[in-house]
Amino acid sequence: MKPREIAALLRMEVLLDLRQKHAWGGMLLYVVSAVYVCFLAVKGGLGTATWNALFWIILLFAAFNALARSFQREDTGRQLYLYTLADPRSVVLARTLYNAATMTVLSLLSLLFFALFVGSEAMEQADLPQFLGAVVLGGIGFATVLTLISAIAARAGNGLGLMAILGFPIVLPMLIAVMRASKLALDGVAFSVNGKYFLGLALLDLITVLLAWMLFPYLWRD
Amino acid sequence: MRTIRRAPAFLLGMLMTGATFAQGSAPGWLEEQLYHSGKINTVIAVVTVIIAGIGLWLFRMDRRIARMEARTKK
Amino acid sequence: MKHWWWKILAVVLVLAASITALKVPLKPALVHVSPDRIAPGPVTLEITGYNTAFKDGERVFLMNDGQYVCPSGVEVVNDHFLRARFEVPAGLKANLTDVYAGRVHMNGALFTEGLGKGIVAPQGCGPGPKFIDLFDFAFPNRNILYETIRNLNFHVPMWFTMMVLFGISVVASIRALGSNDLRHDMAADLSARTGLVFCTLGLITGSIWARATWGAWWTNDVKLNGAAVSALIYLAYLVLRGSVPEPGKRARLAAIYNVFAFVLLILFIWILPRLNAVDSLHPGNGGNPAFSNYDLDSTLRVVFYPAVLGWIGIGVWMYTLRLRLARLQHHLDDANHP
Repeated sequence: MKPREIAALLRMEVLLDLRQKHAWGGMLLYVVSAVYVCFLAVKGGLGTATWNALFWIILLFAAFNALARSFQREDTGRQLYLYTLADPRSVVLARTLYNAATMTVLSLLSLLFFALFVGSEAMEQADLPQFLGAVVLGGIGFATVLTLISAIAARAGNGLGLMAILGFPIVLPMLIAVMRASKLALDGVAFSVNGKYFLGLALLDLITVLLAWMLFPYLWRD
Repeated sequence: MRTIRRAPAFLLGMLMTGATFAQGSAPGWLEEQLYHSGKINTVIAVVTVIIAGIGLWLFRMDRRIARMEARTKK
Repeated sequence: MKHWWWKILAVVLVLAASITALKVPLKPALVHVSPDRIAPGPVTLEITGYNTAFKDGERVFLMNDGQYVCPSGVEVVNDHFLRARFEVPAGLKANLTDVYAGRVHMNGALFTEGLGKGIVAPQGCGPGPKFIDLFDFAFPNRNILYETIRNLNFHVPMWFTMMVLFGISVVASIRALGSNDLRHDMAADLSARTGLVFCTLGLITGSIWARATWGAWWTNDVKLNGAAVSALIYLAYLVLRGSVPEPGKRARLAAIYNVFAFVLLILFIWILPRLNAVDSLHPGNGGNPAFSNYDLDSTLRVVFYPAVLGWIGIGVWMYTLRLRLARLQHHLDDANHP
């Protein structure tokens, strides 16, 4: 663990991303288009369960789309240069942190668009802090799982297609837990009942990061 | 040779259709099974699937070995 | 010979467990009572039993909450079918839910209309002396399961074998990462493939059993989701292997994915049933009683554990056969292209 190295790498990530504004534009456009398709398809009047399911489906595919490029923007030459300078474990931690931040922003923005277009009646009875917590925790969960998968897919030289195949079964458990947590939050269930889902999600996130930290160095050994 | 190769798949298909027939023929089959056969056909179907599955595996293993034999002769 | 003992043991265990699983009789039970809704007044109940031996003078009565209602006449048609006429009194304090016929009974068989304050004491019937069979080697006869309880010894061992084979695959993957040895990679690949054979068998047999018991081929259930996730993970593992041509890189990427996915799979199987209190039809989940809570579970256990051990042995044997063949192939390749 080298906090300074991680901080420097994180700064580099942000700078690189700021230089590629079209990538963020692409992600947002994807979310808005998906939400708009939903709006056209359902024309309002959704039950809480369907609303919740639609939102998570959109967020899931947005996450795949956003994180697929996580390890693909670098060409091999720059990768090699970067990884002779830095510890691979710092690289994966910085990348996971950055992706988690990206997904937090993206999931909140998706929620905003979704509530604007598809309607927010489903949220009327919701325990709002709890629901937002579930959304953010879900976004972070997707980010932690898909960071390593994105790295594997990038190394295999096969982009989004392989990433979807590899990532889907691993994301599924997280999706089931987070959908249930957010559904309960939408129904206004007390945190004392719903809290175990948050605990379970946080545990999953933690173990995922730990696994990525342990396995990532093997990925770069050539 | 071709027919022989197809035989296991065909047999498996036969067994599967047999199992389906045993399950979903006349209306009220569920009650029929409940009160008279005690659903024993389900057990038969399950055992059939397992034996057929192991058989299919053996068949594919056989082909793998045959391929290797052909290579050693060359 | 010393390498053969476990293979022979596996075959003997599977054979013994399968024969026992098919031969052991089911305990007698009542399977159907018609009509299931009664009101005060005369009523004739048709009572169907399974593996029962009804005989004339069978002790038949309805009961709940300390109230007994005795029949005015019983007509035994055959070993497993009888008709009983009742004069249901008005003013019962609770539903007469349970039907007793001889040594067997069915709880929750009836719904009674017209409740009141309660009736007078039993009219000369009621539970007889308890029978205790010393050598009662029989499977529990559960409502909706009936004979299919035997499937426990065929369907469930498939999943145990699959998990053992996937476990072998992960251990081989960890060793492949540690040593960069392609032989471990080969072992991980082949045990995952053999595990998928058992996964397929588990899915198909489970589907058939679910259709006969729950009325649907597939249900939303923590166990079924776990099965689907493990199948998808290892199919994805094979796709990943197929998409990387270079052996060293393929070994490393596949091993990383294998370890990552397997740990998350175990967590999923371990955590999710603890979160969902309702989403399961399986015994031991979602508030259902486990098979171990069933009456006379020892009979089930005596057959179940040998079946699991035997099938694990068969699975590992199948995996070693494929591994040995692949090694031979490898040597052949080396001989042809030195």
